[in-house]
Amino acid sequence: MIERPSQGPGDLPPVPVGRVVATEQKPATPHQFHFWTATETTVGIGAIVKVQGGGTGDGGRVGGRGKGEEGRVVYGVVTDGFAYSDLASPLHDVIGAEGDPARAREAPTARAEIRLWTAAVLRQIPEEPLQPVPLGDVHMASDADVAQALRMDAYLHGARPTAIPVGLYTSGGLESPVYLDADFLVGPEAAHLNISGVSGLATKTSAVEFLMGAIFQHFPPHRGSVAAVCFNVKGPDLLFLDQPGALEDEDRRRYARLAVDPAPFERVRYFAPFKADGVNLNTLRTNAELAGTVEPLVWGLTEVLDFAEVLLNRDDIDAKADAFIDFLADRVVRRDFEDGFGGRHRVETFADLERLFRSIFDGLEMAGRGDIWRTHHIATIRKVRNRLGNVSTRCKGLVTDDGPSSDLPWGKFADRTVYVIDVANVDPLGQDLVFARVVSGLREHLERRDLGVDAVVVFVDELNKYAPADGPETYVKKMLLDISERGRYLGLVLFGAEQFRSQVHRRVVGNAATQVFGRMDADELATPGYQVLSPATKIKLATLPIGELMVRHPHFTQPIFVRFPRPAVLRGRDGVERYPPAEDLPFEEAVVRQLARLDPGMRPNQVKDLITDRDESDVRRALGAVRRERPVDVLALFRKRLGSRVAPEGVRERAAVQPLNPIAEEPY
Amino acid sequence: MTGRRDWLTALYAAGITPASFVPDASAGRVADPDEAPAPTVELVEDDELQVHALVPGAPPAVVAFLDGIQQWKVVGYDGVRPIAVAYVAAAVRQRGPDGRLRTAQWEARELVVAAPDSLDDARRRAIEAAGLEVVSAEADPAGAGQPGQALESLRREVRRARQTLERDMGRRAVEHLAKDEWLVVDGQLAISAALARHPRAIGVIKSHGAEFLEGRHLERALTVPAAHRTSVFRVHGGHGRTEVDSWYLRLWPWEGRDLYYGLIRIEVARGPDPGARAPGISGWLFAERATLSAPDARFDRLLYPIHDVETYLRSRAPGDLLASPASRLPRTGT
Repeated sequence: MIERPSQGPGDLPPVPVGRVVATEQKPATPHQFHFWTATETTVGIGAIVKVQGGGTGDGGRVGGRGKGEEGRVVYGVVTDGFAYSDLASPLHDVIGAEGDPARAREAPTARAEIRLWTAAVLRQIPEEPLQPVPLGDVHMASDADVAQALRMDAYLHGARPTAIPVGLYTSGGLESPVYLDADFLVGPEAAHLNISGVSGLATKTSAVEFLMGAIFQHFPPHRGSVAAVCFNVKGPDLLFLDQPGALEDEDRRRYARLAVDPAPFERVRYFAPFKADGVNLNTLRTNAELAGTVEPLVWGLTEVLDFAEVLLNRDDIDAKADAFIDFLADRVVRRDFEDGFGGRHRVETFADLERLFRSIFDGLEMAGRGDIWRTHHIATIRKVRNRLGNVSTRCKGLVTDDGPSSDLPWGKFADRTVYVIDVANVDPLGQDLVFARVVSGLREHLERRDLGVDAVVVFVDELNKYAPADGPETYVKKMLLDISERGRYLGLVLFGAEQFRSQVHRRVVGNAATQVFGRMDADELATPGYQVLSPATKIKLATLPIGELMVRHPHFTQPIFVRFPRPAVLRGRDGVERYPPAEDLPFEEAVVRQLARLDPGMRPNQVKDLITDRDESDVRRALGAVRRERPVDVLALFRKRLGSRVAPEGVRERAAVQPLNPIAEEPY
Repeated sequence: MTGRRDWLTALYAAGITPASFVPDASAGRVADPDEAPAPTVELVEDDELQVHALVPGAPPAVVAFLDGIQQWKVVGYDGVRPIAVAYVAAAVRQRGPDGRLRTAQWEARELVVAAPDSLDDARRRAIEAAGLEVVSAEADPAGAGQPGQALESLRREVRRARQTLERDMGRRAVEHLAKDEWLVVDGQLAISAALARHPRAIGVIKSHGAEFLEGRHLERALTVPAAHRTSVFRVHGGHGRTEVDSWYLRLWPWEGRDLYYGLIRIEVARGPDPGARAPGISGWLFAERATLSAPDARFDRLLYPIHDVETYLRSRAPGDLLASPASRLPRTGT
């Protein structure tokens, strides 16, 4: 934390760096003021300054300020800067140098220059009456000043602080920690964070990784428990959060200044769907040293049916089909169900569902009862069968035809744990399904308060893709809007990232109480959403170095630039170099590895003997069952679920009737 | 003008008629060609006044520049005799190797100037109690009590106060000049013996109210081409009692403009070999054309550092002695 404002008796009066000026053309107002500095100054765009109206700190000098301004302190952030000389016309410089620029450099006297700065008011003390900024001395802000200017004192000190370090405000050799208010970052007062920036500078992901680490270390205990769910949507970005990254001394110093331990996340669980073979995980975290740490994400019919809307397009889902899917979900799935033709069913998998459909079609045909079954037309049933039956093909590896599912630990989410769901190599349909179901699950469990934690931060990159400002109303977009608008009541917090903020749905962006900006594209900055920023601030945003961000937060009346250390976790690119992804294993080897993760002492040959010549789908089903039940004796259960080997029956030669007149004897 | 309102109120209460009048040129300086006795000159460089081409030169690393300002305003009338408030200030700004000017000295005085018999003791005490200096102007020699002449008398008094300030400051400045440092004064060196005798003090005169030459010499001097100077001549008498060496120097081409365009006169202390110093000094003063002091109307003769000193002095001067640019009334023709 930072020191409290203090001024001991031995403190020297601070040296001003500037002086407020006000003219008729550029007056000081309650929200903005201008000040000049020496030409060589540490003041720059984004610098936080303090204006003292007089009295203490003004060296006892009198003049240039009105009565009643003694003790008034105004904090501001520099938003624009001007430099000009007493040159009335450029032509005068040309004449003085006789048209030769080289001569201009030789002029013996440097023109009088001014550095004039415009600052936006961050805070006035006292806050009432709100008055124009006094014409006082301007000082660089200290740690304590920064805390006051950004109103951080309200949540930084006190019995129940809620401060989360976000970075260091640096200016003029000063370096002050900047904190966000957990109540406004994770809820309940406000919530959500949106981060924008051009791709390829590792700013967005790095910032979120650092901030999540800071949240995990500083989230106040009296606010309960918190976890994070991160969707890894591209490359290996988030696949090494548990591995330490390379830090430089400067990073460590910044961590120390922010009181954040520079360590990777202690508890990270990785989930990834299978590839199409059903045994190799669809992730880049497949290096032998790390492979056992990724858990499969496999869903079956019961998990997927509620999200048919995600999987089926609008043309597929008309009112009739929707009604039939609802019927299946409510009356059929996971229930003992009689089909009306004497057949009893318990539908838990796509395979079970297929058997039900066949039974219905056969029953209708045999009974000759026309085209209606349970008020649903056979054409609708055929359509739903066709579309649903196709799901497991389209999302192979994620959705299984039969066999048990493998899911997130619903109800058992742990405090300060990151759950990474790797969908980077999953096709867009699968990504949508994963996203929709996970977010829905989080929302439902948080509503019931049985998730295991009180709040969950959901990190979604590429909001340009998932919540575009225009385009169709997808299920995923609706989910994101729902989180943005209702999430804070539940403790469901969206940390969204995108390249072009202007192209993300306004309500998703607008509901983010905390806005973070990395380096921005000039075209993006020209869009209306950035009109509130001064040209100088835009220029700074367009040239921000890696590790520097502009932050807007409800407590900050103006955007603030902060620097943050690189995250203490292994970056994705470095991770795949240190832990190169393994080649896909042959089916048998992959099964062995899956089982070995549950029982490291298992002998591979035993498994291989068991699965030799067995149908792969049977093996996958048995493997899934073992994964779900997690028995003490893994091999025994695997053997049991695999079932006894059935000897293949040879093809019997059929007795054929010899042709009466062999063709060969035909003359033609 | 701290506390001026109180003593003014007292004056007005004592029968002084309030007034608010800023005479022309009160904010600047005008030449007084008519006051000084005619100087005598003696050519000391050539037998005949010649025109010499300048050799470009670089200024010394450290040069100080001295200038002063005066501002005054009539604030009341005792009968028809004007009473004025004046502000005079002078400053020395020193230019270092980085080309930037920094203030080395600054001094200002605030005065109340009035005819000798217009302020009785009570009024004087009221003014002095407000921290202002009371200066009696010269008595009207004609004794006619003409307000116009009284006003001229006040103006001379204000100018004298400013010159005194400049002279004292110049004396202090040359006392502190280091071995390689120079002082450039806006105006004549001859106002101060200390300045006029210092080997590294230069006076730059841009007003040519009094001509030092006549006949063909005058014609040659006033038509000297740009980047040329005249021969050095020695000046006796005039405003000062100390002899100085002087020459004309043209900074900008005058053809197509005015005879005095870009023409300055240089004064330096009398030296044993005047012709030896003039080329070097002229060369670096010519280099002072850049930076141009535009938009000042005198930019053709006003060296930028002197302009800078003026700007500095004006920035520190009180604003209430200037005619208000925002006055709703048209200016009078007084």
